[in-house]
Amino acid sequence: MQPQLILAAGDPSSTDIWAIANTPFLWFCALGVFAVIFIQTILYARAAKVAAPHVNMPARELKESFRAGAVASIGPSLAVVFVAIALLALFGTPAVLVRIGLIGSVSAETGSANIAAVSMGATLGGADYTQQVFAVALVAMSLSGAMWMLSTLILTPIMKKGGKSLAKRNPAVMALIPTAALLGAFSALTIAELPKSSIHMILVAVSAAAMGLCLLLAKVLHAKWLKEWALGISIAIAITAGYFLHTAA
Amino acid sequence: MSTPTITLTSADASMARFEKQTTRYGSLTMTAGLIFSLFGPIYLVFFSDLQIAPSMIWVAFLAVAATFGVLWIVEPVTYFPILGSAAMYQAFMIGNISNKLLPAAIVAQSSIGAKPGSKRGDLAAVMAICGAATVHLTSLLLFVGVLGTWLVSQVPAEVIDVARLYILPSLMGAVLVQSIVAMKSLRPTIIAIVLALLMNFVVLPAMPAVAMFATALVVIASILVSWVLRDRKALVTNTED
Repeated sequence: MQPQLILAAGDPSSTDIWAIANTPFLWFCALGVFAVIFIQTILYARAAKVAAPHVNMPARELKESFRAGAVASIGPSLAVVFVAIALLALFGTPAVLVRIGLIGSVSAETGSANIAAVSMGATLGGADYTQQVFAVALVAMSLSGAMWMLSTLILTPIMKKGGKSLAKRNPAVMALIPTAALLGAFSALTIAELPKSSIHMILVAVSAAAMGLCLLLAKVLHAKWLKEWALGISIAIAITAGYFLHTAA
Repeated sequence: MSTPTITLTSADASMARFEKQTTRYGSLTMTAGLIFSLFGPIYLVFFSDLQIAPSMIWVAFLAVAATFGVLWIVEPVTYFPILGSAAMYQAFMIGNISNKLLPAAIVAQSSIGAKPGSKRGDLAAVMAICGAATVHLTSLLLFVGVLGTWLVSQVPAEVIDVARLYILPSLMGAVLVQSIVAMKSLRPTIIAIVLALLMNFVVLPAMPAVAMFATALVVIASILVSWVLRDRKALVTNTED
């Protein structure tokens, strides 16, 4: 027998995702990321407080900037909260808090998880979405997010030294590559949903139409909040439609 | 109190000190955040008896890298001129940069009448992101961590099953439309959609084994075809500007 330290009793073929996704250690890691950002915020605010008087900036203006930023982010934050709750069933609370609420974005993280599941021959959220698939999906999301942070850590000091950025040297390539990459990724991930079932096909259309309508209304009515909430609203409409189609079928 | 020249140099010196401090604090906290974010998956892989083979991780990572690898490098490069070095370390850990952090910074600068890129503007932006971070962390902990977890535990299991089954199509349709509208580039949009349709309805039915790298292949093909078929006139005028 090979001695192995097993701290959490996982079952690779179990589809009880929440049993593994909400283990205390994952909660501990998630709260760790929260704590790190809180500490960063305090350190930054303190550094700004020290520097401000030297650039003729009264403490009142620092406070005002803090408050303006806080107020401006209430709407977008609640919009993220709404989308995050919709994904709790898929990833459990700690993973949603870290991956979707903080470091990443809903689209990139869910995309990574989906790609990882497919690479194991499984479907995210499907009947073959086991604890093992969840774990590999979380690994893929986390490594992808880590690469984003790593390149920020490496590139920021380089760009600060004033090295001419690629953006300045070749604006055409710099604009085209990320645009094509993003559109390619989300087109592929969206269209891959179509052949799964007729309900999937309808829901992609419902969700796309809801988003189109929200963005159109936001533009016509000059409602910025609607643009922020568009993703949450579209998911809510599509999921509700999915529930009725599923129970009717 | 002091002559203008002295004020100027002391302002420059204190901003230089601010930059140095935030770079140190920023890179240290970001490294800590990176480590914490990897602890969870490491624990699942090595200590949870889920029988995860190294090959599973390599294949998944390669598939994700081929899809998003370009963005790992391009995003930090794109946001640096807008955010400045201090805020870079905040932004890439807090997330939601374009829809939350940038608007917060701009609102703060305009509310105190500071120009973006000026010293006061930089400090205002950093403080605004601090304010946004405080609100964001609090609302995530409260509404997702506590309320959301409770809510999901109250909802009947069959509703959760339906949500889990259909969350992807319900999310992706909207995400695709959102990115098409945000990118505002017709040619790459048509190219990407045509390639994705070809992949899913022609290539995959004939060669199911490709599925593992289907998204990555569409991404790479989209980049290449968009480049070959680019609008040369528009791009030439752009570079000559």
